[in-house]
Amino acid sequence: MIKRIISKSAIFLRIIFLISVFLILLIGGFTYKHISNLTNSSKLVVTTFKVNVELEKVMSYLKDAENGHRNYILTKDTTHLEPYLTAREKVNESFAELKEIANHGPVQEENLKTLSKYIDSLFRNFTQTSAFVENGFALTEEFKSNFFEEKIIMDSIRHKISEMMDLENRHLQERQKQYQSNLEFTPLFLYLMLLLTLVLIIVSYSKINNDFKNIKIINNQLSIFKEATIQLETVGKHGNWVWYVESNKYTFSDNLYRVLGEKPRAFEPTFEAFLEFVHPDDRKKFSADVERMMKEEDLPFTYYRIIKKDGTVKHIKGYGKLLINNDGEKRIVGNITDISDEIERFLELEERNLELEKNNAELSEFNYVASHDLQEPLRKIQTFISRLEDKEAKNLSASGNQYLERIKVSATRMRLLIDDLLQFSRTNKPDKEFVLTNLNELLEQAKQDVAETIIEKQAIITSDVLPTVSVIPFQVHQLFLNLLSNSLKYSKVAEAPVIKITYELVHSKDDINLINIPKNEYHKITFSDNGIGFEQQYANQIFELFNRLHNKQEYSGTGVGLSICKKIIDNHNGIIIANGEPNIGAIFTIYLPI
Amino acid sequence: MPNDYIHIILADDDEDDRLFFTDAFDELKMNTKVNTFNDGVELMDYLNSEDAILPNVLFLDLNMPLKNGIECLNEIKANSKMSDIAIAIYSTSASEEDIEETFVLGANIYIKKPSSFKQLKKVLAEVVSMNWQYHTNSLNKDNFLMRL
Repeated sequence: MIKRIISKSAIFLRIIFLISVFLILLIGGFTYKHISNLTNSSKLVVTTFKVNVELEKVMSYLKDAENGHRNYILTKDTTHLEPYLTAREKVNESFAELKEIANHGPVQEENLKTLSKYIDSLFRNFTQTSAFVENGFALTEEFKSNFFEEKIIMDSIRHKISEMMDLENRHLQERQKQYQSNLEFTPLFLYLMLLLTLVLIIVSYSKINNDFKNIKIINNQLSIFKEATIQLETVGKHGNWVWYVESNKYTFSDNLYRVLGEKPRAFEPTFEAFLEFVHPDDRKKFSADVERMMKEEDLPFTYYRIIKKDGTVKHIKGYGKLLINNDGEKRIVGNITDISDEIERFLELEERNLELEKNNAELSEFNYVASHDLQEPLRKIQTFISRLEDKEAKNLSASGNQYLERIKVSATRMRLLIDDLLQFSRTNKPDKEFVLTNLNELLEQAKQDVAETIIEKQAIITSDVLPTVSVIPFQVHQLFLNLLSNSLKYSKVAEAPVIKITYELVHSKDDINLINIPKNEYHKITFSDNGIGFEQQYANQIFELFNRLHNKQEYSGTGVGLSICKKIIDNHNGIIIANGEPNIGAIFTIYLPI
Repeated sequence: MPNDYIHIILADDDEDDRLFFTDAFDELKMNTKVNTFNDGVELMDYLNSEDAILPNVLFLDLNMPLKNGIECLNEIKANSKMSDIAIAIYSTSASEEDIEETFVLGANIYIKKPSSFKQLKKVLAEVVSMNWQYHTNSLNKDNFLMRL
């Protein structure tokens, strides 16, 4: 669970790290673009400014040249031609400058060429006009047109320059606008990016913090677990070993040494050192098991013996399993347990069980044979008594006849005892088959068996409808018979017996007699009578073999009948409970599992 | 061969039981001839002898030395000459196993030795005067054991 959380969190942190790196690179890129935009923008302004200045300069040089030229025309003084002459040079310089700065697209390039042409034709005009003046030829028609042409050219130049400056300004504005939108958007974007990065960093921090807490908790648990394991090893006589497959190195836990009867770390943990302790008879099997483990990387339960230094032999149970850690390193982790006590106890128990089984079989055999073989002489005694009675009764004295009668009663009672004992020992056999049986039929049969007594005692028997249950039929028949006989036998002298048989399906949790019983539902059948009853304190005694609550003179009976009932109920995994009240009656309650 | 009496054989190792048996028939005065044998070997030797007179009813004790009643029953039923003899098992015990086994092997009735002489006489009289033809036809596990 915790391991999964941590590995999940590792993936989460990795993703956040990658996103953060990406965002930071993005921020860097945007910042670079932003700054280069700014630089471009200012460069553009400077260029436009320079272009405009140069254009202004050209205009002013041309004006100077025009002025100088006009003054020359008026005064014919050649000194006035000086600015005109320098102007040409300076205009050329400015043009070179403009060409160098200017990189403003084809339109401006074309404008520049046109301007250059205008300037050339202006200067040509100037030269022509000057030639007129030098020749002393003034105010002719030709001169006038020339002069007028000069004005037109000058206007065209002015117009062109202002057009170029406009174009340059427009250009600047357009670019400026474009950059402006970029420049306005970028800081907001960068700020948002920064915020997002910050959020991610905070999330990672809290995540890492959380992981730290978890790791701390796990570490705590691990240390507790480790201590518990050490204690468990000591208590349970366990030892733990680890085999690092790649490096072929072993570690043994302290208690593994103790299981071997050595002090912790008494020797270097190697396979060979361990093999030394294995019982010579088991070494071959042990080595084979280990070899299989190395091959299949899994060791099922193995059993072998070891011999401690003091010579005592111990039984060991071993188990091992391959474990691959996160780095893909293979190790086989195994455990050994000293199961000597367990085995000894098991052997002891088995021996005792065998003995018990033998005893039981003997007892059962004895019981059967005794009752069976005892019958034969008894039968003969009874037959001889009957012969005596028939043939010799008249030859005996009164007391002789009385003795004979006593012998007869004793013999009859002995027969009763033997019959019951035989019945009891037959009930002992648990290998009878369970059959789904209608209990009403069994009850009816039992009633038939005691029909004579029912009539004789004028007994009234009422019963609920009983269920169909999986039982050993002849045993349950016997059970019903015994319970009915019991109620009829211990009835009151002056009162006709009333026997009530009721049935109910009960749940073990609802019945006080069924506390601590695993099964859920039970068939509950009660036999209640209005007989002489018994003291509740004898409720358990009456189920004991040969136990009687009344003397033989009052009530016949061998004290076996209810013992048989108990045995039958035991055979069916049920419960029988007796409740009695003197002179009121007895209630026998049977619970049969469903 | 005079055939006006009922020929009865008893195989029982117990001397007292043989005595009761013969006494009972003496007192019954039923025109019977009773032969007794002390064990299964004696019985089978007699039945297998050339001049043996086969009985009308054979009473067979189960628990006998040398050769027990079950073995005798097996041999008799396997021999076509004697397989028609009416066989009454005559035993002290009436264990379910014995009743089951002898019924399956083809005995005709199972008598639990009674414990009074009066009853013994009654049982023997009833068995000897039984209509075996009728009894065998309607024989089943419930009427196999003779109720007293």
